[in-house]
Amino acid sequence: MSNTQARLPRPVDSERTALKARKVSFSWEDTPLHWVPGDPFAAHTINVLHLLLPAGERWFVHVYKQVLPHIRDERLREDVIGFIGQEAMHSQAHDEVLPHLKELGLDPTPYTAQVDWLFEKLLGDRTLPPGKARKWWLLERVAIIAAIEHYTAFLGDWVLNAEELDRRGADPTMLDLLRWHGAEEVEHRSVAFELFMHVDGSYRRRARTWATAFAALVFLWQRGARFFMENDPTLADGRASFKDFYESGKQGVLPSTGDMLKSIPRYLSRSYHPSQEGSTEQAIAYLASSPAATAAERGAA
Amino acid sequence: MTPRLRTVVAVAGAALVVRRALRRRIEVSPLWPLPALEEPISGRPRTRALRLPVTGHERVADGVVQLRLEGRDLPRWEPGAHLDLVLPSGLVRQYSLCGDPEDTSSYTVATRLVEDGRGGSREVHEQVWEGSEIEVRGPRNRFPLVDAPSYVFVVGGIGITPVLPMLRAVRGRADWRLVYGGRSRASMPFLEEIEKLDPERVTVVAEDEVGLPDLDALFADLPRDTAVYCCGPEGLMAAVEARVPDGATLHLERFAPRTSSEGNGAFEVELRRSGRTVTVAADSTVLAAVRAELPGTVYSCEQGFCGTCQQRVLEGEIDHRDELLTDAERDDSMLICVSRARGERIVLDM
Repeated sequence: MSNTQARLPRPVDSERTALKARKVSFSWEDTPLHWVPGDPFAAHTINVLHLLLPAGERWFVHVYKQVLPHIRDERLREDVIGFIGQEAMHSQAHDEVLPHLKELGLDPTPYTAQVDWLFEKLLGDRTLPPGKARKWWLLERVAIIAAIEHYTAFLGDWVLNAEELDRRGADPTMLDLLRWHGAEEVEHRSVAFELFMHVDGSYRRRARTWATAFAALVFLWQRGARFFMENDPTLADGRASFKDFYESGKQGVLPSTGDMLKSIPRYLSRSYHPSQEGSTEQAIAYLASSPAATAAERGAA
Repeated sequence: MTPRLRTVVAVAGAALVVRRALRRRIEVSPLWPLPALEEPISGRPRTRALRLPVTGHERVADGVVQLRLEGRDLPRWEPGAHLDLVLPSGLVRQYSLCGDPEDTSSYTVATRLVEDGRGGSREVHEQVWEGSEIEVRGPRNRFPLVDAPSYVFVVGGIGITPVLPMLRAVRGRADWRLVYGGRSRASMPFLEEIEKLDPERVTVVAEDEVGLPDLDALFADLPRDTAVYCCGPEGLMAAVEARVPDGATLHLERFAPRTSSEGNGAFEVELRRSGRTVTVAADSTVLAAVRAELPGTVYSCEQGFCGTCQQRVLEGEIDHRDELLTDAERDDSMLICVSRARGERIVLDM
């Protein structure tokens, strides 16, 4: 008996906070293509976020709108509503970087059109026939989102603490976008997992969708980094390799490979709960000082 | 070779062959194997609110003030487009852009002071001045210039503002005529520039000199497929509407909505799919009224920026108060947390 008890997810209650979307805006005119000075690989590896998130987070919102009627817990419902608004803003904010990249001579459309296809068609509503299969598909997608949110929270926590980017003189607007986003990801890191546990919670599904999400993320990310490096008009022979990623991780301009590997068994642990990692306090402290978030606060007042 | 070793060699060989095939395939088309969405959604530029400094505030005719707003890399626009100005009191008013569409460093709008109007023009005239900052949204185009072999423009007074960039655009590339009416020559903005365009094609009709324009003569022998553009007072537009012959297309731009959306009026919302009708009180929102009937309705920010509560509109004119939706989305959908009905009734697909 005590054994099953120990294997249930253990939330850390002090990490909970009420969620609300912040209406941020960024002006990109002054952001250079290589916004980590002298390190195009690091900049482009992070730039892959702008390729994946506009379509990806729009898809989160699309899926969650369909799950909302199935939520029977009022508090979780409130959280999901806040989550939806935050994700919609993340999608919009990253989307606005894309025209700027195009102006700088690096047209992202060939890649984003594929990401759009992936989320709109392959992961859309009509992939499976109506009836039982479609209900299964909805739960599967909810679980995929929970797995992806494990990584967005991981990356959010990383970027909030990535002091090396400050030391390198990274572009302040881009850093603010990443940290505002990262802080909101840390702030709402429990919602997707709690929703998954509420509507389904099966461990087999959690493990299966983790494998899908992880494989897809690795595939899309390396492809995105390669796409940027090869098409960057300022690089004569741009290449991206796993070795570069490993090296940059050691220097602290990208997440370290070791930390990423270590986060895998944590998500697969039966007692995992997102509130066990990351710090809501740090996220809220950043949001209180973020130029974009404080401007949004003033605009709302 | 032992059978085990043979298996290992076979698997390794197969892996190498697959790897080479994949590499070759990727070399041919670097973004293989994912298909792409034909009309990509991500990365479409959206228009957002901007705060721009007012660098010019000058009288260009009796009772008409022209504003010049400056910025860097301003969103481009096409003739006929308008800008939403958020006035100091918070009122939002639409003004047609009358400058040069190619100029991405400034916007020009002109507005006539309406003595008994709804307060917007008075604010522009008296509370906006050079050096102040103003929030703008847009530009958007509800009055686009279509391709046509010939054009007829019928304009009354300040209605010249959206037409002026159109004249510059069609000049020299199509057959066109302009009838420009106004109370007196002194009250008609941009008269000098317009008379210079082409005296043969321009007819200026000042009411205090020659009365009202002769529309019957204008429409007497109109070539087929002429595009007729009209912007002016309600009476002029009704007169044009009644006279446009078959075969011509008519494009109207109203200064103000047919029904005033001043303040917040109460109106009815029909929810067609669920077969219910709710009333939205003046101090309430469509979202609140709909949620009372359909508690599962999705929403999030309740301020018109996240887009979660977007719903399809089947009938009725929409008073859009968000700054998120694109022009195409505005045609048949609204954000129910902030936007309202322009008339007394609106029908939603929910």
